[in-house]
Amino acid sequence: MRRLLVLFVVALCVVLLAGEVSIWSWRSQDADVWKQVEQELRKMGKDIKINFTAFAPTEYDAKIAVALQTGTGPDIVYSRRLPGGRTQTMIENGLYLPIDEYVDFSNFSETILKSVTYQGKKYGVPFAVQVVGIFYNKDYFDRFKLKEPETWDELVEIAKTLKKNGITPFFIPGREAWALAMQHAMCGVSVLGPEWIKKLIDGETDFLDPKFTDLNRRLNELKVYYQDGFLANSTTDMDAAFAFGQAAMVFYGIWGYQNWKNLNPDINVGYFMVPPVSKDQKPYAYVYMDGAITLTSNVKNLNDSIEVLKFCATPKFGTIFANVTYNIPAVSGAQLPKVPLLEEIVDVYLNHASPYVYWVGSVFVTQKPSLYDDVLSPGMQEMYAGRISPEELSKRAQEAISQWYEPLKKRLGK
Amino acid sequence: MCPSLRAGAFKNWGERAMKVRTKYVLLFTLPALILYSLFVVYPLLDSLALSFYSWKGVGPKIFVGLKNFREMLFGNFSKEVFNAFFHNIYFFSLATVLELGLGFLIAFLLASKLKGAKLFRTVVYMPNMIPLVIVGFMWGLFLNPQIGLVNSFLKLVGLKALARPWLGDPSTALTSIILVNVWRHLGFYVLVILAAILNIPPDLIEAAYIDGASNWKIASRIIFPMVLPTFRTLLILLFIGSFNVFDMVYAMTGVQAGPFRKTDVLGTVFYRTAFGGLGSAYVDMGLGAAVTVFIFAIVMPLSILYVFLVEGRERSW
Repeated sequence: MRRLLVLFVVALCVVLLAGEVSIWSWRSQDADVWKQVEQELRKMGKDIKINFTAFAPTEYDAKIAVALQTGTGPDIVYSRRLPGGRTQTMIENGLYLPIDEYVDFSNFSETILKSVTYQGKKYGVPFAVQVVGIFYNKDYFDRFKLKEPETWDELVEIAKTLKKNGITPFFIPGREAWALAMQHAMCGVSVLGPEWIKKLIDGETDFLDPKFTDLNRRLNELKVYYQDGFLANSTTDMDAAFAFGQAAMVFYGIWGYQNWKNLNPDINVGYFMVPPVSKDQKPYAYVYMDGAITLTSNVKNLNDSIEVLKFCATPKFGTIFANVTYNIPAVSGAQLPKVPLLEEIVDVYLNHASPYVYWVGSVFVTQKPSLYDDVLSPGMQEMYAGRISPEELSKRAQEAISQWYEPLKKRLGK
Repeated sequence: MCPSLRAGAFKNWGERAMKVRTKYVLLFTLPALILYSLFVVYPLLDSLALSFYSWKGVGPKIFVGLKNFREMLFGNFSKEVFNAFFHNIYFFSLATVLELGLGFLIAFLLASKLKGAKLFRTVVYMPNMIPLVIVGFMWGLFLNPQIGLVNSFLKLVGLKALARPWLGDPSTALTSIILVNVWRHLGFYVLVILAAILNIPPDLIEAAYIDGASNWKIASRIIFPMVLPTFRTLLILLFIGSFNVFDMVYAMTGVQAGPFRKTDVLGTVFYRTAFGGLGSAYVDMGLGAAVTVFIFAIVMPLSILYVFLVEGRERSW
């Protein structure tokens, strides 16, 4: 009995004396990742307790800004990618700390490291690469002998066949405007193509180019294949509807897969990039670096926090991360779960990522009015609701971005 | 004893008592005063000061003078602000008609000794006890276009043509939110009006009955005029509530107040501007503070009026 008591006291002491590292994030789905990281660190003889807290994505940034300034923030936070006003401001004010001297970044590609680098220093360990595109229910495609489309017209034909057979072709979360902006952007990389987007960035073309309006028109015409009342649906509705086979296709990101599998382990999901207009064009995927795990100026337990960050830069972390979330880890060398979909997504990320984009990670979202928040998000909803024409959406983009984007101002002689 | 000496003694005693009383009054109000200053006066003044700066929430505040107000009232931002402002007015108008109209009607029925009135009094107040976020979530499900209770019911009773994506249709989204808001708060208005009705001396109504007045005449000529002061108070509370509304819109259509800002109110404009939406959103706490000053400038005169009305009523009692 006495021996048991001593053992209990010793165990209690070990738990109480373990260093605690607090981590804040907007990704509630990562809770299990940190439980497994804690176990791995313990196996390595590092007794670190990880205290993970997730906040609503819409409140997260304000929450960390206030907490870090008042000294009540955590040791580590998930930070948004660079370039971007928010993260840059946090760095400039010394709230995020550089970690070059502590962490070995040899497992990351140069492209990925760009999203955490500011003035030559690295502010965080990148955690995931996101790939967006069209995810489809393979069982429906098999049942109706459908093939992944190579052109936009083939995509429309597939939707037509599905609808004729009583299946809702697309489930669109139209209530969440950001998802519509993302839909536009993922179609843009294939339909407009990276060359056109580069021209837009360089100020050699603009939003009034007929090609941009043509994309708006194509999307507007596709809405007859969306579920009834799609402007009232959220991503939660979409997850459930897609997981349980109420719709055949969704315009979404790989991060949705974890949810669909949790809801319905039997779902058979496939992926294809949004097809271009003609067969002689190459399809592209919208790929972006999600964010990073960053050391804050509020760090109370520096040594253990560094140990956690060091671990985040290892393939082992990538393996845990990919197995829990089915996201592509930013760190290379990780062992991904044997899921064909994930293997395909990795191939897309490595070989078909569009080098130029106009949504997350682009210059067009760095100032206000932003193409993401102020033009495409409300504009796509208005177009789908029939309140504005595809031409009007192009006009709005032109008016908004030409207020501040120098190459476009120059082109228009402003 | 000389009478003048006695009067002087009383005077001294009265002054001392007054001094003691003032000391205690100050002492007892001090905690409330400190809390009020800390949580109401200070944030208010701080917001007012902040509205003259540009501040991303982090780092130095840049003094911009009246730029935020110019931007809000006449610049690019004005379209968004006035769109929300008119939604607040619509919110107030519809909520007033429904909450005071229905509130009076239900209170009148509850005041007449109908069978089950006590039970109904409890039932009508029940939505008030449900947390607002849950109300938003629950009604979000009820109004779901595919699986929602509302559309399923309409289809069941042969009114399929009326079924629609309530929160996704620009012509019904804001009205749907207001109706849910009315559903949630109606009980409170019913109880307040009911209390006012029950306060009317019963002999007044009895005398009217003896004189041969009809129910309609009693309701319109006696009860309604006598609860009118309560209506005035409720009207001002509704005005303040309608211009401060945020939580219901946030719970039902989110911070983007979709579809395409058709449910936007000044509260959501402030939240988006000060705290941003998703990751890449641009924020300016100074511009957000200017929006709160704008709301304050609308609500404050009415609040003062409210205090005068309530004070006036109390004095007349």
